[in-house]
Amino acid sequence: MSLAVEIGGLRLKNPLIAASGTFGYGVEYEGLMDLSLLGGLVSKGLYLEPRDGCPTPRIVETPAGLLNAIGLQGVGVRAFVADVLPRLARYDTAVLVNVCGDTVEEYAEVTRIVDDAPGVAGVEINISCPNVKKGGMAFGGDPRMTAEVVSAVRKATRRPVIPKLSPNVADITVFARVCEETGADAISCINTLLGLAIDVETRKPRLAFGTGGLSGPAIRPVAVRMAWQAARAVKIPVIGIGGITSGRDALEFLIAGCRAVQIGTSNFVDPGLYERILPELRDYLERHQLKHVGEVVGTLEYPGLPVSTEVVS
Amino acid sequence: MPANRHAPLVSREPLDAAYFVLTFRHPEIAATAHAGQFVMIKAGLSVEPPLRRPFSILGVDAKEETFSLFIKAVGAGTRALVRLTEGEVAQCLGPLGRPFTKPAAGTEALMVAGGYGIAPFHLFATELRAEGWIGRVFYGGRTVNDLQLRDRFQELVPLVPATEDGSHGHRGRVTAPLLAFLEGTRGPARLYACGPDPMLHAVARIAEDRGLDAEVSLDPWMGCGIGTCLGCVVRTQHEDEARAKYRCACTEGPVFDASLVVWPDETASRARRRAKVEA
Repeated sequence: MSLAVEIGGLRLKNPLIAASGTFGYGVEYEGLMDLSLLGGLVSKGLYLEPRDGCPTPRIVETPAGLLNAIGLQGVGVRAFVADVLPRLARYDTAVLVNVCGDTVEEYAEVTRIVDDAPGVAGVEINISCPNVKKGGMAFGGDPRMTAEVVSAVRKATRRPVIPKLSPNVADITVFARVCEETGADAISCINTLLGLAIDVETRKPRLAFGTGGLSGPAIRPVAVRMAWQAARAVKIPVIGIGGITSGRDALEFLIAGCRAVQIGTSNFVDPGLYERILPELRDYLERHQLKHVGEVVGTLEYPGLPVSTEVVS
Repeated sequence: MPANRHAPLVSREPLDAAYFVLTFRHPEIAATAHAGQFVMIKAGLSVEPPLRRPFSILGVDAKEETFSLFIKAVGAGTRALVRLTEGEVAQCLGPLGRPFTKPAAGTEALMVAGGYGIAPFHLFATELRAEGWIGRVFYGGRTVNDLQLRDRFQELVPLVPATEDGSHGHRGRVTAPLLAFLEGTRGPARLYACGPDPMLHAVARIAEDRGLDAEVSLDPWMGCGIGTCLGCVVRTQHEDEARAKYRCACTEGPVFDASLVVWPDETASRARRRAKVEA
């Protein structure tokens, strides 16, 4: 039985990837789990320079979810390459770097620095963070800007390029296709949903930034639906993200057509979850008499009702 | 090194006013925790509410491999915890964070607690007592109901209670008996505070006015407890830093040197202002 998957030339020993922004730089989890259990991990979003991020409060708990406006606080790509990458080298897992920028040029420059660094398996492009004033969702919400950023990053690296798409658009398939046409090797779906939580006593937003990004089990059905739509729209692999807490949750994305999944908010809740989910996946394959996890991918039996074509198109 | 494990509830002691003392089995926490450190804990495995909650460690029993928490049932997460019955498990990660710094020999530890901010001081007083050091607890709340642990320090250190409604001890804020004590004291002292932010800020000001060292235990909303979500950051500034930085309360705190904290209505830390005056 094999859990190995391949995504745009990137071979992962299993389909579980720790999502950007929920796993620090990976090294924070040393001692709490065996990082070699992971198929891969994606770094916190990195710009050229260190960033302060948003004022506080930055997080608020919502029903089965987490609303955050962290604002991409980070150490900057050079510190990551110098201090963190060597520590991650001892683990048998694929290290992906989430690259950010205020400008197209900055995305390309961060990518070039990463491309030169040893131990980087691929580049995820952050065009979907809702908590920054420039870049982020501003690029991922406009197909022309998405094309510009993906093309620039594509030119800056030989490694697999994986744009991370925003759900805060009318039709995610438009963006999935743009990524495919401009040289992406895969896409990650989805980043957080734009949300707003209000303190009714003060009549102010509960987050200092105002709006925030919603994650956690609350968004899973939306994420599965969007990943499913994206997977039907493009030939490049789709990595599903959104509210995964168990093997069954991960399987929903795989059945919907995702080649791999990322686990996000659950990393905050339980550092032991990979040890729990991997046996759940193996158990599922065994019960369904499957030899390879890839045999599950895209096996959704969707009812052929007229309404489905309206949803998908 | 913190350990993540399922910790069974060993005992559940209901107090008044929705307060509880819960004791869990967790060998690593019992063996290695220091006062001021905390755990991230959540009842059972359900996804609602999603996050674990941070609590200061109230006490440890290395022989029994247990630790205790002082919890007020106020929301979904805390209510789920106090509803656990003996033998049921919580997901528990700890011990986490930076503990209080022990005072120098001969320096009195003046511990200022507001409401459930008393929790770390029980373990701290136990540690101080074991090493033969001296301390004193100033324990404030709105009413006597907020002073649930007032009888548990008798064997450890003197305790000075204060309530805003005068239902127990001094009437008024807890900083009043602290100031009165500082007026009369002659020996060296070091301040420690845990409680609501305005109280922490008041203690920091008192320390600043009198040239005393102080540590405060901050309690911002926390997501993960291990420095990855960056939700619990607080602004601190060392004397050689031109700008304040956001630092994680979970990994660089929750106990901070009060002179490094940039309080909400201030633009620089006490340490930075002092360095600039001297420069």
